Amino acid sequence: MSTPMKPLKTWSHLTARRRKPSEYEIVSTNLHWHTRDAEQPWEVGHNGFMADFYRKYRNQSPITHSDWGGFRDPDELVYRTYNILQDGQETYVDGLLDQHNEEGHDRGLPPEWTASLLQLYTPSRYLLHTIQMASAYLMHMSPASTISNCAAFQAADSLRWLSRVAYRTVELAKTHPDVGFGERERELWEDHPSWQGFRELMERQLTTFDWAEAFVALNVVAKPAADEVLLRQLGISARRNGDTLHALLTEAAWRDTERSRRWTVALVNHMLEEESNREQLTSWVRKWQPLGVAAIEAYAAGLPENDEGAQQAVGAVKSFQRQLGLEG
Amino acid sequence: MALMERSEWYDVARDTEWTPRYVTWEELFPPELSGGEGLPDDVWRTYDEPYKISYREYVDVQRQKDAGAYSVQAALERADIYNNADPAWISILKEHYGAVALVEYGAALQEARFARWCKAPGLRNMAVFGMLDEMRHGQIQLYFPHEYVKKDRQFEWSHASMFSNNWVSLGARHFFDDMLMTRDMVSTSFCANFSFETGFTNLQFIGLSGDAANSGDYTFSKLIQSIQTDEARHAQLGTPLLQMMIENGQRDKAQKEIDISFWRSYRLFTILSGIPMDYYVPLEARHTSFKEFMEEWIVTQFMRELEDLGLSKPWYWDIFMRDISEHHHGQQLGTYSWRPTLWWNPAAGVSPEERDWLEEKYPGWNDTFGKVWDVMIDNFVNGRTEKTVPGTLPMICNLSQLPIVGTPSQTLRDTSVVYKGRRYHFASEVDKWIFEDNPERYRYQKNLVDRFLGGDIEPADLGGVLEYMGLGSIGPSGDDAHGYSWVESYRKQLADAG
Repeated sequence: MSTPMKPLKTWSHLTARRRKPSEYEIVSTNLHWHTRDAEQPWEVGHNGFMADFYRKYRNQSPITHSDWGGFRDPDELVYRTYNILQDGQETYVDGLLDQHNEEGHDRGLPPEWTASLLQLYTPSRYLLHTIQMASAYLMHMSPASTISNCAAFQAADSLRWLSRVAYRTVELAKTHPDVGFGERERELWEDHPSWQGFRELMERQLTTFDWAEAFVALNVVAKPAADEVLLRQLGISARRNGDTLHALLTEAAWRDTERSRRWTVALVNHMLEEESNREQLTSWVRKWQPLGVAAIEAYAAGLPENDEGAQQAVGAVKSFQRQLGLEG
Repeated sequence: MALMERSEWYDVARDTEWTPRYVTWEELFPPELSGGEGLPDDVWRTYDEPYKISYREYVDVQRQKDAGAYSVQAALERADIYNNADPAWISILKEHYGAVALVEYGAALQEARFARWCKAPGLRNMAVFGMLDEMRHGQIQLYFPHEYVKKDRQFEWSHASMFSNNWVSLGARHFFDDMLMTRDMVSTSFCANFSFETGFTNLQFIGLSGDAANSGDYTFSKLIQSIQTDEARHAQLGTPLLQMMIENGQRDKAQKEIDISFWRSYRLFTILSGIPMDYYVPLEARHTSFKEFMEEWIVTQFMRELEDLGLSKPWYWDIFMRDISEHHHGQQLGTYSWRPTLWWNPAAGVSPEERDWLEEKYPGWNDTFGKVWDVMIDNFVNGRTEKTVPGTLPMICNLSQLPIVGTPSQTLRDTSVVYKGRRYHFASEVDKWIFEDNPERYRYQKNLVDRFLGGDIEPADLGGVLEYMGLGSIGPSGDDAHGYSWVESYRKQLADAG
């Protein structure tokens, strides 16, 4: 009673390609069943809150594309290779921490610099956590599984560095118990002028629900701003203050930043395949850019031994946006 | 020590709660997404996950797990399970991957919602690992069956099932979308982490893993054992939330959500696990019956957990206890009869030896379900195969989206209710209760029969229904797993008797 059907060489949606599908394509493509029916994302009725939420903020986003599923992560990361990659990176970071601890690195830090670390470094766990939350949002709201996966690994990377900041916070508190490490971070994040720009930027980003605008606000404005000033510029200050460990940690973190930028470039390029998207994307960059610049400037005002920090960071963010074809 | 222990800094990493200034707390955590209304604001920071792990440990441990599972798969590829295993075992693989792979990935989105919307910062971090776990489960359960797609078109369903209107997919999607995808974070956690994962995934992962090893499929056995070790970690996420609700005067609300999700999970697993465990797993490889497994894992262990929390057995406990001896037998009769609608080839599992086993495990089986099989067997033996496939659609439950079945001449009855001018049919009192508890949530959903009668399926005949369900386009229709070879023994009996 059954009609014979010829087996295919791969999933039917990948058969049109001329080459053998990669592991990445086999396990990552076309997995969001809730995009199959734009009117009814979920197989339970059609008038619930969550159906409205996905209809409004994903399916009816002003950024459109005829083939979201065609997006590919330029790094082709899958779960299996993500862990291989990051286990290696974490082994390196463990090595840095272990070695510097053995050598009594923290004892040699000048007091003015430990004060800067308390002001500008250890409260960053809050900022990293907001980027983690924002990335998780993109994961569950993106219109294609290949986009969701990039966002998921970005969320995990944020948790990675949040964990390392927590580690360093406790380690610094042991050597410098009177500075306030591990005690004052929330107060500094909530009230210190250095952080208010980033706090406003991220609180507003986290309550932006259109998935494409959330992506632009996070990956094109907020995260580049944070990475430029917290990693690169604070890393420069660290080197100038004899904190080799901090400088090396920020360089290790920069590898994750570069990967985030590669998929950001790829996704913006994908969006720009539809020329009609350019104006909306640019207008979002213009909308968010002032908050990003203000965040950088407020933060960079406190950077020791680094007067050009703000200017350098703003320039680098703009240069990244130019590379994307989205000048703010 | 030059490197600190995790316990020294772990609390700092989950101390990430702050008071928003530029937006309100409600804007940051809308109630429809976050849930937990009525709980005091300061309770969230008391959330303490039972299972702790750091990012550093996670990527190390998980790298090793994958190295193990993928190397077993590579090493055993030459053993050619596809050609050497019992065909019914291959059907289990097809059913499993088709029903599970994309749903696991979907659970990564559910975990991502926790990572964003949960008001407890510790849980937000843990949910990032939960999200990664589910991505792993989705990816590995696509990678493994992909090896088989070039041998057998039915494996295409491993990827395609959730995009189809196959009736099993409709049931699975309704379940997952209801339980995991469309509720606030706290409710989702009760449904997903507590009822579904803590309660039931053991059936699939521990129950089937033993049967896989007994059937010689060490790849599958290793795969699902490996998945189970992740499950044990993130399934625990919901328990402290339950405790928080119970301690803050919301016990009844929590109890009701558990009651609903427990029943929904159970009914789905009768198809996913019940049928394979008692009918598809080759007799010599079966280590426990579905009922025995349910009694050990659900009736004893899960219920103890429930009671430890101060919750009660669901109100329908007596119905449930009777149901585990009969419902999946009815679903097996239904699915086997409607085998052209399946994406796998079902095993009948009713050879004389298998019937003895069924009678031993389910006393009275031969006098109830067995009688229907007698008629079916008689038709097979006498060459009336066409009479063994029904020409009409079964009644479908408007809650579970699964056929309405029961013990022949005993418990098969239609339970229906009229709501706002439309009559809804249910497979049990419990399904009806779930509907009536929140009819607005369910009233618009059309089951397969509603679609057929409403003219959504063209042409309006069995051929049209098969096409609508993806049979003949995604993969070929299901047919008897063993090509009816098991009928021989009955044919011989008939000849001997004659």
